[in-house]
Amino acid sequence: MRQDSTVEVHYGRPRRRGLPNLGLGVGLRNQHFSYLMNHDPEVDWFEIISENFIDNFGYARNVLKHLASIRPVVMHGVSLSIGSTDPLDWDYLKKLKTLAEFVQPAWVSDHLCWTGVQGVNTHDLLPLPLTEESLRHVIERVRQVQDFLERPLVLENPSSYMEFKESTFSEWAFLTELASETGCGLLLDVNNVYVSGYNHGFDAEHYIRSMPHDAVVQIHLAGPTDCGRFLVDTHDQPVPARVWELYRLAQELTGGVSTLLEWDANIPDFPELVAELNKAEAVLRGENLGAPVHKSAVASAVSNPIDFQLSTSNV
Amino acid sequence: MSERSLSVLEHWMKTVVVERGGLREKLDAAARRHGLSAEDVVAETRGLSAHERLAVYTGGYVLRLLECMRADFPALRGFVGDSVFDAFAKAYIITIPPSSHSLYDLGADFPRFLQETKPKDWTVDEGIRAMLDLPPELARIERARAEIMRAPGTEDDPPADEHLSPFAVFGDETIQATPCLRLLEMKYPLVELLRSSDKGERPEPPAPRTTFVAVGRSNYRVHVEEISLWQFAFLKACEHPTSSYSAVRVAALESGRDSGQVLADVAIWLPVAFELGFLFSV
Repeated sequence: MRQDSTVEVHYGRPRRRGLPNLGLGVGLRNQHFSYLMNHDPEVDWFEIISENFIDNFGYARNVLKHLASIRPVVMHGVSLSIGSTDPLDWDYLKKLKTLAEFVQPAWVSDHLCWTGVQGVNTHDLLPLPLTEESLRHVIERVRQVQDFLERPLVLENPSSYMEFKESTFSEWAFLTELASETGCGLLLDVNNVYVSGYNHGFDAEHYIRSMPHDAVVQIHLAGPTDCGRFLVDTHDQPVPARVWELYRLAQELTGGVSTLLEWDANIPDFPELVAELNKAEAVLRGENLGAPVHKSAVASAVSNPIDFQLSTSNV
Repeated sequence: MSERSLSVLEHWMKTVVVERGGLREKLDAAARRHGLSAEDVVAETRGLSAHERLAVYTGGYVLRLLECMRADFPALRGFVGDSVFDAFAKAYIITIPPSSHSLYDLGADFPRFLQETKPKDWTVDEGIRAMLDLPPELARIERARAEIMRAPGTEDDPPADEHLSPFAVFGDETIQATPCLRLLEMKYPLVELLRSSDKGERPEPPAPRTTFVAVGRSNYRVHVEEISLWQFAFLKACEHPTSSYSAVRVAALESGRDSGQVLADVAIWLPVAFELGFLFSV
């Protein structure tokens, strides 16, 4: 873990898509604001949910301003809707760019998904039909977004619970083409690979081995929930053993990229969160860590939780 | 281009996710509108049916947004109870699907929705009739508080040289309402109810009474205060830069009070209004 208090990145590994290896980071969540304003952050970098800070001039922005002055910050969005057939939301993109000018993030990321059409935003990361038409559509939009933001976009593989009959690409082949055509970076969420692999019956290791490793600039870690028939991407549990194994494989294949632990519901205290993140170092040393996947007592759970986007606290 | 284009598939799935009703009704609506069934669209692997797979998305859509509504309106939820709140919040989500990129905008129309969907006066007895406006009014004050938490404020402004003197009102200093001030004219006294709710108490509903409320923020702390009519009129007069004395004249006129009395009251109250983040010096 970093010991200094500067924002200089000191890992010294090759840069991917011009982007550095930031080390080990966590998602910035409201529940930790008070702790972080009174303690050393203990992690190398933070990832924010962009939409939490767009048009937000309250205490959250004050916390962000402080943390961005002492640690690198990455902006991770959930509303770009890069796969939607609605026109790009330029009002949203302008606000995203304005926030990026304030934050000066190491990079800006979102998901390979769509969130709605006909003006509706479902606030879910909906799966795309992986077809030639979709690929051309997303390539064109990624180019427009990168030109507008004047920086590379990084896209994450989402967790999914259904695939389209129409699809002609595997997700890894789709991402490979997309990265090759646009120069965008990839955010490899190894938990999402595990969840989707289970739900659709593909081999998660094969997925990770088939990725274009030189395009991967970041890895996401999280803990899912076993709901019996499905694994659901709940982000509310410690990282299970199988996901740690996939993480080790991904780091071997990429040569080492920025790692981010997501924990978005039943959020633990910050020191506990950091302890979970620090297991990454032990895993890369060869230790086998993590428990089996948490099993839910009920057959359903909400994917892509939004607890982290909600706050009623009056600080 | 495939017959089932990306656009058709997305519109079909959006209908399935957002449409009113259970999965069967949603799929019927999608079939009518787009000519596709679940089995036409969704790959069935690992022994999981198209319906099971879609149910993860349709169930998650409402529950995810319902969580957001619960977080935005905790006092209203506590007041009407979980089941009533959930019923109205779900109806709201289904009737007005979200369009903003921000979940903070989700509840913006909820007060109006509650007002427009309340039972008609003639269908209920007098005791209940007096309470019909309370839920939308409570939603209104909670929404104002949520907006002020995120609104542009004055925290980054250079600190004032000194505390505002009570005699400032007699000077020619220009003052203005802060960008994080909301003024509400309400049908019930709800400030105490909100405070009790914040402490986890279950307050009794207040009797209807016209009240005035100012919601402001200073040092990132939100203040919700019941104010007098003259204070309401004074703050309203400060929406644009003005002198204290001009605002006093408006406040006196609007409240029917003697301007000398208002001036004396403003002299005492003005430092408090600055402290609570209602006003700032231009």
